[in-house]
Amino acid sequence: MCLSALNPNTRAIVPGAPKVQQTTELQRPLQIPIHPQLLTLRTSQPTLEHHGTGYDLTNSVFSPDGRNFQVEYAVKAVENGGTSIGIRCKDGVVLAVEKIITSKLLKAGANKRIATIDRHVGAVSSGLVPDGRHFVSRARDEAASWRSTYKTPITTKDLASRMGGYLQAYTLYSSVRPFGITAIVAGWDSELELPVDGQVGSGPSIGSGGKVEGMTFGGPGLYMIEPSGMYWGYYGAATGKGRQTAKAELEKLDLAALKLSLQDGVKEAAKIIYVAHADNKDKEFELEMTWISNLDGPTKGRHQEVPKDILEEAENLAKKYLEGEDDEETKDDDKPAEGDKMEE
Amino acid sequence: MEFGTSGMLNEDGIHVDMDRLKKGEVNLGTSIMAINFKDGVILGADSRTTTGAYIANRVTDKLTQVHDTIWCCRSGSAADTQAVADIVHYQLGMYATANNRPPTTQTAAAMFQELCYENKDRLSAGLIIAGWDERHGGQVYSIPLGGSLHKQSYAIGGSGSTYIYGYCDSNWREGMDEEAAVKFVKGALREAIKWDGSSGGVIRMVVLTQKGANRHLYLPDTDYAVRHQ
Amino acid sequence: MPGFDFTNHTRNAALHARGVPLPKATSTGTTIVGCIFDGGVVIAADTRATSGPIVADKNCEKLHYIAPQIWCAGAGTAADTEFTTALISSQLELHSLSTGRKPRVVTCMTMLKQHLFRYQGHIGAYLVVAGVDPTGVGLFTVHAHGSTDKLPYVTMGSGSLAAMSVFETQWKSKMTEEEAVTLASNAIQAGIFNDLGSGSNVDVAVITKDKTTLKRGYVKPNERSKKQKSYVFKRGTTAVLNEKVITREEISKYVTVHELEGGETALGEKMDLDV
Repeated sequence: MCLSALNPNTRAIVPGAPKVQQTTELQRPLQIPIHPQLLTLRTSQPTLEHHGTGYDLTNSVFSPDGRNFQVEYAVKAVENGGTSIGIRCKDGVVLAVEKIITSKLLKAGANKRIATIDRHVGAVSSGLVPDGRHFVSRARDEAASWRSTYKTPITTKDLASRMGGYLQAYTLYSSVRPFGITAIVAGWDSELELPVDGQVGSGPSIGSGGKVEGMTFGGPGLYMIEPSGMYWGYYGAATGKGRQTAKAELEKLDLAALKLSLQDGVKEAAKIIYVAHADNKDKEFELEMTWISNLDGPTKGRHQEVPKDILEEAENLAKKYLEGEDDEETKDDDKPAEGDKMEE
Repeated sequence: MEFGTSGMLNEDGIHVDMDRLKKGEVNLGTSIMAINFKDGVILGADSRTTTGAYIANRVTDKLTQVHDTIWCCRSGSAADTQAVADIVHYQLGMYATANNRPPTTQTAAAMFQELCYENKDRLSAGLIIAGWDERHGGQVYSIPLGGSLHKQSYAIGGSGSTYIYGYCDSNWREGMDEEAAVKFVKGALREAIKWDGSSGGVIRMVVLTQKGANRHLYLPDTDYAVRHQ
Repeated sequence: MPGFDFTNHTRNAALHARGVPLPKATSTGTTIVGCIFDGGVVIAADTRATSGPIVADKNCEKLHYIAPQIWCAGAGTAADTEFTTALISSQLELHSLSTGRKPRVVTCMTMLKQHLFRYQGHIGAYLVVAGVDPTGVGLFTVHAHGSTDKLPYVTMGSGSLAAMSVFETQWKSKMTEEEAVTLASNAIQAGIFNDLGSGSNVDVAVITKDKTTLKRGYVKPNERSKKQKSYVFKRGTTAVLNEKVITREEISKYVTVHELEGGETALGEKMDLDV
């Protein structure tokens, strides 16, 4: 290895080499012992399977092919979490999460996983639950800070941008690890005029002059933020263990047309969580669902839990749908239904 | 610093607004206003700046741009209102680049209010914020001395405004066209200048619509009849 | 003991309560002006510095250097105008070095106003800022509280009223350099002759795209004429009644004698100057 020839310690024993003063300032950097592992790094190709290369041990260090392994490991943590989805409907947004029951001693319906960030925004995440809690805490701070600066609610897009920036910062420093979550942020931005918080009066009774006709503002917002800090806006978003199945289901809905109603969106969301869970039947789960409607809808622009009766109706439809599928499977594959096994 | 508690005018005929000023400070003994009309808003102001009884500037521009189509009328201390307007001008510029969209009038009003309220003990600034944006059209906000925020159809301010409450109340109509609106503002400011010793000089206006900002200038030489510039 | 002495506070408060007025601050005196012309700007100032009712300096400089093409005329407290302009001059040069551009008059004006606003009028600097930069000609006034005005002709200081009357009657747009210099000089002379706080000579600075010309003592309307007689008392006018020589050794017994180094002068009481 040519590197070792540069080491003055080595050079000293090379026969016939001129004797050099070993402690001059210029030479000092050369005396740093070269770890044998570093030598192998140059030649071997680090991969996810190939552990112990050193590049996967810390943030803020790239692998030679430009990857940050810590971020990729964080994605692994997300891929093991319960499935979360969001659906952007014409008159609102739905959030749903598959909450895996880890103990029978946990109170049903307690330990919520979907949080309210501001009156009009909710968030859910898949991955490490405590990381999700911190995400929510920070998102609430961002929303509150926006309100105190601009005296108006933060838009879903701006919140996603702020949180994207926050998560990205956790990929830069060796003292921290990236967030082990992918979060879905959903909100309804008011379609009406926005007053300044604390203003007195409301201007002309006939409304302000000079508005541009035919323009619409506000509406549903749905964003997904990954451990890298990358975020995109989605028609339908899915993350967690069952994301592939969920995505396949979401794609069937033609959400880009923005024709799906919120009421139907709730049913679809429940169905998708149930379908996505079918690949993971050995674990029991609870369905948690929230929604944000437009100002004329059931939540009047606020982020709220889906009412019990509507949730139950949606769950029943989902179960019925699954039973139908199971029946078909049973007929085709002649397998017994596995629903009862979960009671163990 | 002690502030006077006397009535409308001091014995020397100088407006009590000045009691709030520090000694020797430059004052905008002023007539300012902004109104909503069919296509947007119009801001108007006289042009007199005084130090005590001396006119320090007879062609002052009290209509200050803080963003493309968001402007403000300044009254009170020239130093304070310029400082506040400069800060908001900077903040709105940052807002527009950071969020990749122009700020709304509300955003500007909120920024002005924050500064005026949090520093109410240190400032003598009476501001009228007027702006146009495509979502909300033209809007008028008034921020008087204490730092409260009022959304109004039209707002008048400064020492000269006391003389034109009656004029404005009886001549104001909602949804005026531009010509009528300009005539209303000019008529009101003419009266304010006529009766208020601390107001005078030229009449300046800014018309804010979808088409952008448009300046007007009227000189006393022609009794404010002819539009210059 | 270092620090403030409050021993007279109670007495002063009691006197004030009985109607004794506070000592009145003497107003400061100066005339400074600025005027733009076709292709440049001229600023001018008188040269009287006062300390209360005393003329402290008959030929002081009130035109301050900011940058080669930006100059400032100062009224108010002498130390404040001197240090404020020096500070901004320094900051502006560093700013110019870091941006790699020529300094601008608006930048200078903005730095001055933000500095003065921060000190809420306690820095008593009233300035006329003038210059030529790549954007064109600039002329501003900056008041001690931090307000600024942009005008084609400006006056400041106690003589500003007299000077403004000259501008208001004689100014016209599109003047030549010569016309502008004469007008500014006339405005300063109006201050010199009609304002007690202003006096002595006229200093002028002319700034154009190509160069700055400082005309120190452009007009000297108050030259002291030669005295017709000598009023010096002749030697021996005062009679010597007796004579006694005290040696240094002798006086050293009673007081400490300190040798002054070459060039060093004995410290007297310092004087506050108003420009």
